[in-house]
Amino acid sequence: MFQLKWVWKNLEGCRKRYVFALCSTAVLSMMALVNSVLTAQIMDTVFTPVKEGQGTTPELWHRLVVLVSILIGFTMFRMCFNYLSVMTYETCSQKLLFKLRRDLYANMQAQDSSFFSKNRTGDLMTRLTGDLDMVRHTTCYVIRMIIDCVVLFLTTSITFLCVDWLFALAMLAVTPIIFILTKVFAKQVHPLYVDLRERLSRMNTAAQENIAGNRVVKAFAREDYEIEQFDKKNEDYRKANLKASLLWFKFSPYIDGFSQSLSIAVLLVGGSFLIMGRISIGTFALFNSLCWTLTNPMSTLGMLINDLQRFFASASKIVELYYARSTIVTRQDAVKKEGRVQGAVKFDHVTLKRNGTEVLHDINLDIKPGETIAIMGPTGCGKTSLISLIPRFSDVSGGTVSVDGTPVGMYDLKKLRGSVGIATQDVFLFSDTVDGNIAYGDPEMSEDDVKRFAKIACVDFVDKLPEGFDTVIGERGTGLSGGQKQRIALARALAIKPSILILDDTTSAVDMETEKYIQDQLAHLDFDCTKIIVAQRISTTKRADRIVILDKGRVVDVGTHEELISRPGYYREVYELQNGIAGEKKGGAA
Amino acid sequence: MARNRFDVDETLETPFNIKHLLRAGVYIKRHKQKMILSLVFSAISAACALVGPKLIETALNVAVPNRDYKMLFILAGIMLLSILLSIFFSVKRSRYMTVVGQAIIYDIRKDLFEHLQRLSFQFYDDRPHGKILTRVINYVNSVSDALSNGIINFILEIFNLILIAVFMFMCDVRLSLVVMAGIPLFLIIVLVIKPAQRRAWQDVSNKSSNLNAYLHESLDGMKITQAFTREEENAKIYNNLNTKMYKSWMKAQYTSNLVWFSVNNISTWVVGAMYLVGFSLLGPAVQIGTLIAISAYAWRFWQPILQLSNLYNTFINAVAYLERIFEMIDEPVLVDDAPDATELPPIKGDVTFDDVTFSYDGSINVLEHFNLDVKAGESIALVGPTGAGKTTVVNLISRFYNINSGRVLVDGHDISKVTLHSLRAQMGIMLQDSFIFSGTIMDNIRYGRLDATDEEIIAAAKTVRAHEFISEMPDGYYTQVNERGSRLSQGQKQLIAFARTLLSDPKILVLDEATSSIDAKTERLLQEGLQALLKGRTSFIIAHRLSTIKNCDRILYISNKGIAESGSHDELMEQKGHYYQLYTAQLEE
Repeated sequence: MFQLKWVWKNLEGCRKRYVFALCSTAVLSMMALVNSVLTAQIMDTVFTPVKEGQGTTPELWHRLVVLVSILIGFTMFRMCFNYLSVMTYETCSQKLLFKLRRDLYANMQAQDSSFFSKNRTGDLMTRLTGDLDMVRHTTCYVIRMIIDCVVLFLTTSITFLCVDWLFALAMLAVTPIIFILTKVFAKQVHPLYVDLRERLSRMNTAAQENIAGNRVVKAFAREDYEIEQFDKKNEDYRKANLKASLLWFKFSPYIDGFSQSLSIAVLLVGGSFLIMGRISIGTFALFNSLCWTLTNPMSTLGMLINDLQRFFASASKIVELYYARSTIVTRQDAVKKEGRVQGAVKFDHVTLKRNGTEVLHDINLDIKPGETIAIMGPTGCGKTSLISLIPRFSDVSGGTVSVDGTPVGMYDLKKLRGSVGIATQDVFLFSDTVDGNIAYGDPEMSEDDVKRFAKIACVDFVDKLPEGFDTVIGERGTGLSGGQKQRIALARALAIKPSILILDDTTSAVDMETEKYIQDQLAHLDFDCTKIIVAQRISTTKRADRIVILDKGRVVDVGTHEELISRPGYYREVYELQNGIAGEKKGGAA
Repeated sequence: MARNRFDVDETLETPFNIKHLLRAGVYIKRHKQKMILSLVFSAISAACALVGPKLIETALNVAVPNRDYKMLFILAGIMLLSILLSIFFSVKRSRYMTVVGQAIIYDIRKDLFEHLQRLSFQFYDDRPHGKILTRVINYVNSVSDALSNGIINFILEIFNLILIAVFMFMCDVRLSLVVMAGIPLFLIIVLVIKPAQRRAWQDVSNKSSNLNAYLHESLDGMKITQAFTREEENAKIYNNLNTKMYKSWMKAQYTSNLVWFSVNNISTWVVGAMYLVGFSLLGPAVQIGTLIAISAYAWRFWQPILQLSNLYNTFINAVAYLERIFEMIDEPVLVDDAPDATELPPIKGDVTFDDVTFSYDGSINVLEHFNLDVKAGESIALVGPTGAGKTTVVNLISRFYNINSGRVLVDGHDISKVTLHSLRAQMGIMLQDSFIFSGTIMDNIRYGRLDATDEEIIAAAKTVRAHEFISEMPDGYYTQVNERGSRLSQGQKQLIAFARTLLSDPKILVLDEATSSIDAKTERLLQEGLQALLKGRTSFIIAHRLSTIKNCDRILYISNKGIAESGSHDELMEQKGHYYQLYTAQLEE
């Protein structure tokens, strides 16, 4: 039930309207009864007298005209009111949805990488589509119908009890049984709906990965395999759906049976009472004509409970996302920093553990503002982990990382990240124009600036694109070569004029000539900037002020290019390999 | 066609027609038997339900005046029976419809997914992935009820309507006509709001598609967003889309709800009018008994119309989604097996480009009159400036795109005349972006050859020097990884993808910047392992690190839409051309 409370909490701002809608439903359900009263009136006061031989008197005609006018006027009023009521539900539920989407989106943006490695895109998409829709359905339909049912049931019950308590009790006798049945059903169906939405989420994830990995699928001609895999998910979902839906049909015969048995009660009890003379024919007619207002709510309620259980399963998933909190946030006591960050970076006895294994071990590194540092090391040695500590993509497990003497944890996150320009290894571009991608960090940026940074990063191929800087590139930059993507990513990082520029193997797919050009450009930027460059190629690292060699999460060597090639070690080996000195000997066969 | 973005509605070329519903009929037809049975069951169930009022009437008219308790019990017994029958059949029908509804969405989704697998890169490159995803999952789910229960109810309500109309006419023709006078009025209202309604629901489908596309991309690019502290700006964009979604939904609701609003009002008007007309005609022309009888039918006549109008709303809504689904199923397969395509027999690995001209968009040629002859077992390196078309050349061998003119031959077979599967299955392609599927590392490598044993997988991993780091992971080869998982570094991902490619045991191997993120030492070791493997296989290697390609049989310098230089490392060095410059530049460093 906490899910409903949570919904109520989020209805803030239109709670009054929602309460109005709830009340209007109650009024409307009673108004629906008035219609039958009016038509009964026409029968009783106009037609019956005629039938009984009074003939068509002007008086009756007049009465008929009045009653018909009331009927039409009342219906008109009722329908307008109903329309208003339904639209109020829609407005409230849509406002709720709007707010939830807004908050959920904002909250997801505040999550750290551990959240995103746990929650797959397909699953998050399920929450913001299917699950949210269940919340909408519940607030604007299920709740309305429940109120309708309850009010109808209660009004009729009370009327019946007032007219003849014994007859009424005879009819209401089945209520507790139906209540128990519904309760048992709700309990049994709940886990099935939890399972169902899990299946939906899995199917969503499978489809999402298939679409994202479509190139690999095609490269390996694995279409049939993918179809087979997806088919399993599709089938699982279908089965789970059937299982949950069919459970209702195990209960519904009994619930329907008991609720419809009310007409038997009318016939049997009412008939007997009539014979005994306990009730009049009018009372009998009343019970008989209003019987459906007891029967319908009873069987409808079961279905609504079904929907409600589904809602509970979905809503808990959203609530979970709604309250997910990242540990990487701006601290309350964050230091206010004015002006531009100088760009001094210090690693002081830094260790980093991930999933129990130590990724970085006792790293000490002092980088002065404006310095260019290259980081090198074997695959998986912790290079990317190391640099991701600077903009606080991860928090250290021990020691401190500080920028300009202040621990990064004490910074306002926005200020910190706004000072760090990063071009990641796995280039992600947005399906936007080239211009929009470069100006990603500063949407206000002028066209000239965009072109200037594009030039520094050698994004010269833009001229060859059909619409130049206004060419829309595909999601994840599909359609561009690896080197082209990297250059746009570099321009994007430069465009925010960062105090600290981090290039994580950003030029690996760029040809040598272009890389040389980019390096020249980087050496002469018109803003002060500390550069931290992760690279595999000597050509990239050579000009750095210092080169840091990482191995298995430890700093094993630090020095300039000249220093490092003069002593044996990883760097010299790589140097020799890349210049073919060692290569000639070993690869002699070719 | 320009690329579609998250903020651009996808226009729909085909005008509205009932064809989409009829086309959905293909899926419904498979369940013909169940559908018909459901109809029959519903009819029986409805008939049983009709017995109730008759029994009460009998009780009132016969049993009560006669003080006949026995008869009362008999009547109650009959009623119980009718209720049981009615429930039995209605539950049976509902069960059938649930099964059918689920089967239909299963089938549609299956067809959609299968079709998606046949679509080329271009399709995926041209639109946000979130839009494709929403259709496969959410849209398909939205149509299940309309296509199962919706259809049955529609037929039943029509029957119901006809039946009541017949009874009504049997009472009195003139009064019946008064009651039916509301229908033209109702139809006019429906026809007037229909275009607006349809547009409104299409708009909803568009806006939700846009919203989801942006959400999807935001989730994928979250790290970049955070790095560039673009959260607020993105939230603004998202909320803008969110607002549009809100507005379009409300608009659709404002129009859709007018339908029941008008039915209820019109029905009251005509029944009221019928009362008045009937009353004024009372006398020899119209008996009072007739009037009482027909007024009961008059109310009931409009019930099915109300139900039908609700169903109509459901259908309009469903069609908005069906259109999108079928549009995707109809998406032409640009790269497809030729009608008379044959299986490519096991190949040796000769590759020939014969006067190939190719352009991605039809306007700018990437390759022009490109000729290349590669013998089986040869290793070919492609170098040249970024964007010169190196990746394009290798993509054409696997026929990821269709060429504009010329021929690409493998072992003398024109690749456009063999089945795609037989072609690609014999090639091993390692793409620039290595994609890791969620699952274990073992599964990811096995993707290259599904029947590979664990030992073979480990052997492949050892060859590419991935074994060491995999063994160090908490669960070794059974460590769960995924595309965004931070467990794997870019270089490690490449090694896994490399192992995957090797495992497929291809005759033609394509390595497109396969080792760019792998450190030099590991690459060196990897190369040694590769030497043995490359024997007897044709290989195409794209790399910027020249140490990687020096030993290739032939190096092609690609620029200006063709091959500028071709030859072995030594030959090209002697030519002192582009390659020479490139190499010496790298040496200088």
